[in-house]
Amino acid sequence: MKYTAVTTLSFLIWAGTLSLSAQLQPVFTFQKDDTTVKRKYYNEALKKKAQLISEIKKEYSKDYKTAYNDMFEMVEELLLSHRTVTEKNADAYIKAVTEKIINANSELKNLDLRIVFTRDFLPNAYSVGDGTIAFNAGLFVYLHTEAEMAFIICHELAHYYLKHSLSRLDRYVQLKNSDSLKKEIKRIVKEEYRVNEQVERLLKNYAFDMRKHSRDKEAEADKVGLQFFKNTGYSGASFITTMQLLDEIDDTTLFQSADLRKLLSFPNYTFKERWVKKESIIFGALDPEESSTLTAKEKDSLKTHPDCSIRIALLQADAIGIVGKDFLIDQTYFYQLQQAFIPELVEEIFESNNLSFNLYLNLQMLQEKKYVPLAIYSVARNLNIIYQQQKEHKLGLITDSENKKYTEGYNLLLRMLSRIRLNELAEMNEAFCSYYSNQMNNFKAFTEEHEKAIRNKNIHINN
Amino acid sequence: MRHLIVTVLLLISCTTFMQAQRMTVENVHKASARNASAIKEGSEVKGYYFFFISDKIDKKTNEYTLRITDNALKLLKDVKFQDSKHVYIIESSFNGTDLIFLLYNDDERTFEYQVYGADGKRKHSYNRQLTKKEERFLEATYLAMNDDDETYKGLYPIENNGFISVMPSREDKDYTFQVDYFGTGKKKQWTYIPTDGGKKFVGDYLGTYNGVVFIEVLRFGGAFDQKPDSYIIGLNLETGKKMFEKPTDGKYRFYPASLSLVNGGKAYIYGEYFDVDGNIMKDKSKGFAFWNIDENGKILSEKYLGWDTDMGKYLSVNSKGKIDDFGFMFLHQFVQTADGNIYAVGEGYKKVASALGILSTIASRGGSGRASVTKLQVTDMMILTFDQNFNIKGAKVYDKNKNNFEMSGGYEFVSTPLLGKMIKYQYGGFDYAYTQVSSDLTSFSVCYSDFVKEKGSYKGGTFNSITVTDGKVTTDRINTKSDAKFSAVYPSKQGQVLIMDYFKKDKRLEMHIEKLN
Repeated sequence: MKYTAVTTLSFLIWAGTLSLSAQLQPVFTFQKDDTTVKRKYYNEALKKKAQLISEIKKEYSKDYKTAYNDMFEMVEELLLSHRTVTEKNADAYIKAVTEKIINANSELKNLDLRIVFTRDFLPNAYSVGDGTIAFNAGLFVYLHTEAEMAFIICHELAHYYLKHSLSRLDRYVQLKNSDSLKKEIKRIVKEEYRVNEQVERLLKNYAFDMRKHSRDKEAEADKVGLQFFKNTGYSGASFITTMQLLDEIDDTTLFQSADLRKLLSFPNYTFKERWVKKESIIFGALDPEESSTLTAKEKDSLKTHPDCSIRIALLQADAIGIVGKDFLIDQTYFYQLQQAFIPELVEEIFESNNLSFNLYLNLQMLQEKKYVPLAIYSVARNLNIIYQQQKEHKLGLITDSENKKYTEGYNLLLRMLSRIRLNELAEMNEAFCSYYSNQMNNFKAFTEEHEKAIRNKNIHINN
Repeated sequence: MRHLIVTVLLLISCTTFMQAQRMTVENVHKASARNASAIKEGSEVKGYYFFFISDKIDKKTNEYTLRITDNALKLLKDVKFQDSKHVYIIESSFNGTDLIFLLYNDDERTFEYQVYGADGKRKHSYNRQLTKKEERFLEATYLAMNDDDETYKGLYPIENNGFISVMPSREDKDYTFQVDYFGTGKKKQWTYIPTDGGKKFVGDYLGTYNGVVFIEVLRFGGAFDQKPDSYIIGLNLETGKKMFEKPTDGKYRFYPASLSLVNGGKAYIYGEYFDVDGNIMKDKSKGFAFWNIDENGKILSEKYLGWDTDMGKYLSVNSKGKIDDFGFMFLHQFVQTADGNIYAVGEGYKKVASALGILSTIASRGGSGRASVTKLQVTDMMILTFDQNFNIKGAKVYDKNKNNFEMSGGYEFVSTPLLGKMIKYQYGGFDYAYTQVSSDLTSFSVCYSDFVKEKGSYKGGTFNSITVTDGKVTTDRINTKSDAKFSAVYPSKQGQVLIMDYFKKDKRLEMHIEKLN
């Protein structure tokens, strides 16, 4: 009896909480990952590791073992983290496109393969070498068609099929132990003068040798990948549009430049021009070519996707002849997934501790009225964290600084963050939260950030 | 051998670590404050330079790298050049477009001023040959200064025009100073050296206004002259020709410390003043003076605020009892902000009884070689505020721990104002580090070091700031004690600092920029 009364009372309290929390919605619901899939992939990767290590020959075995350990550290970090997307539908979709390719190419059928989407912002896809292939959402969101996605997977499958990563690892170990390198180092060590000049020359030669090897493998992966692609039924024109996209992707942005003056001005607190006023800078007219000892060709190699125009020229004729469709699996889901990935990419930047970039992207989303509750909440949350970090002199650890490679709008935000005073930050965030409080009063997470902002502001008023 | 292989392979696999606002340099065998410093435009830090030997070319020649970064530590350019192995870097400055570096060859006794344009290319090079006498004098004065506050005082930027250098000099038997102008547009240089009517001259750059370079001069009749003449000279910026010489004694003896363009672009010089027959080296100042001066040296208005009359009353009202503990005020800096307010930044010091000195006197029965019965104590920071009509409107003392200096016997009889100069120039004993003013004059930060012992919590060195933004004051503290062998805080952008830690065991130098609150 006693037990029942207590239970009833507890239920009433719980029901009351439920009814209250039903009004307080989460700001956004992210795709839910399937952790059993992650664990399954990881266990498969561990088996592959054991197999590769058991096959190491006696010569330089220590170096090979170290290299494999490094490789699997990366695999573990990827597969067990929240970066990997194993949500049921997304996972099924990437598997379906991959199966379409494998089914059309018998030589791929027995590959030990684990292909996953990641929430990484970097527009890239890569094959680690053990059978793990990562397709970053940061690249997926820019694609126009499923056919482009299929070509990228074909390219990465070709890398894996041709064992490029393992051959690069092998080349590195052989180079490290080569007689010619040892002999050259021995000679340089004995020199008294111009030692660094000779070391630099040696390094440059070997670095270029490794890079050339890498480039040759890229060209080979394009060629073999296109062969795989040819049999799938996707349109060959997507090879060219993919390469064009990759060529420009470093200069492409997801949203329009954020107008900080408008976004951060409120009825009771206005944006201060001195936060962003331009200053004189050293070497303001420096040609970017001058700041580097690299040639244009060397710089191209540093791009996320180098040599795209050359790669198009090599295979354009073959690609044009491939007749097919832009979508074979699911056109609607392709676009839905792109939209679902955008806030996840932005949030992943927060998870990776880059608060300034996450703040900027959320301001851009707010400006474009996309994912509005999430954007408002994230701006408030980030400004509160930035306030705390600045107070503890740790802001430099979570924010970028102005850099020519960033967009003008982002640089303006970085300049603002480097100048805004602690009390101003508190006042601005309180004004921001107050401005959006009516719109956001159903969101508990936002209310908590608003309360924090009020407390921070009051610290300065009371002082 | 093994070490080199490891280095080579590390580089092949691209492990260089350089991230925004943070930079780590591996394989640093020796860290020296002199070869790494801030590049400033006035008080604003615009970047940093790191000067190191990158290769040995032959017996006499090294290859040097002058690494120039912006104020967020992003690499802008590595300037490589070959020169004698006796070359050192002395200082740098930035004038809004161009950059200047002063290099010194102690074997050939030459100064070389290298000017780099906005495009990063070397534009001009100016050389100066020192005589042996000059070299000896500079090594005892200018070249001997190695703390941040003093070292970087010789090269002053003239916006988009050039640089003014002021440094000690010797002309035959005279101890004097030399003013040089280095053009950054066309290659142009002029030199001014005062030698008439005195045996010793000390010169301080006040500022440049309407094409005239203002220099404060103290002229000593002899080596032991205690009452030097004080006057301002105006030099034509284009030619170096002396335009005027204006004595600073009239109603009082005025000792200008700085020049600011305020109240609609008018030039004001300000500093402490003394009795007309007073001794500026020994006597306590009577207060602060503000002169409005034109480009011909004509005084348009004068204002004097006395310690006893104007400021004394104000201080007694607002800091009763505190000023007694504060002692004398050593004036470090004047700042004027966009709202017209003027701030005087000072630090307190006084003589106190020394237990060691008293014991030592008893033990030696008053004989020679004993410690002084009084010691010097550096006390708190103080900021005085004046309105744009130069009326005092506020005074605030900022507490810090007191530093004590034991003095040699005999210093009991030296005047307290002279002891202040000794603390500054001989002992380097003040905690004040520097003051930075934002380019739009809306904010400034006064930075100083301290040492704290907090029961059960932090015990060690601290770096502190007092920041005034739009008239509102905030203070901040960074604890500087760390696991590093050597830690230093350098000026950064206004409101920020660069923290450098050298980890000797790991041969690693870490730098990161942090904001002051």
